[in-house]
Amino acid sequence: MSLFSALSVSASGMSAQRARTELLVENLANADTTRTPEGGPYRRKDAVFASDPSAGQFSALFESQVNPASSGVRVAQVITDQRDPEMRYMPGHPDANKDGYVAYPRMNPAEDMVDLLSASRGYQANVAAISAVKDMINHSLDLFK
Amino acid sequence: MFEAVAGNLEKYMSLLSTRQKLVASNIANADTPGYRTKDIDFRAEFAQQMQAQECDGMPVTDPQTIEPDGLPVKADGNNVSLDREARMLAENAMRFQVASSLAQAELHSIRSALQEGPSS
Repeated sequence: MSLFSALSVSASGMSAQRARTELLVENLANADTTRTPEGGPYRRKDAVFASDPSAGQFSALFESQVNPASSGVRVAQVITDQRDPEMRYMPGHPDANKDGYVAYPRMNPAEDMVDLLSASRGYQANVAAISAVKDMINHSLDLFK
Repeated sequence: MFEAVAGNLEKYMSLLSTRQKLVASNIANADTPGYRTKDIDFRAEFAQQMQAQECDGMPVTDPQTIEPDGLPVKADGNNVSLDREARMLAENAMRFQVASSLAQAELHSIRSALQEGPSS
């Protein structure tokens, strides 16, 4: 039934927004990280979303074959910021180069906070959609009473 | 007797759920680059289904998805307006509730008739 696939579409939106939130929180936590396994300072990560006709579940997959209009969402790619690191003059730091500069992640907390708000609002919108659809399903079930 | 009213209600509710599904999809894709808002032309689809019911043999077609015009496109090519989707979400849910209450009232009156009037 079509309303149930709306639930999995919204669930895919929730999981995509949660994945994005995880990346943003990771960015904030690593705002001052100068060492990473890849070497060099931490680089900011962000998620790119793509619409996904099959939102994971069987019913959604079936529905997408029958009627390709409605589609869920998935994280298509995690992009890493390629901007040059910010150089701070800290001669005493163990990671300082020969001139006494330390490479810090180029991080703008405002950017991450705004994205975090947007991800959280997106998540809430998906939750609202789920509860509206759930009410509709419940009202249909009430017809049996 | 029952089909005349509840048959239309059923079509109405089924179109509403199709529309609600598209709204859910729009909300899920609110941050997807290049995604365009999807909707159905409710009035035209409902008229088409009513017509299909009136003249037997006319095929009932699946609702056609449209992409509504006039929505501001963001820099990433996405034109989902969360305000519009929130309004549609609430509106569809309320319309559905009205339709299901009407169907339920219809069922009650038929049940009441079957039981020869209100039972004790």
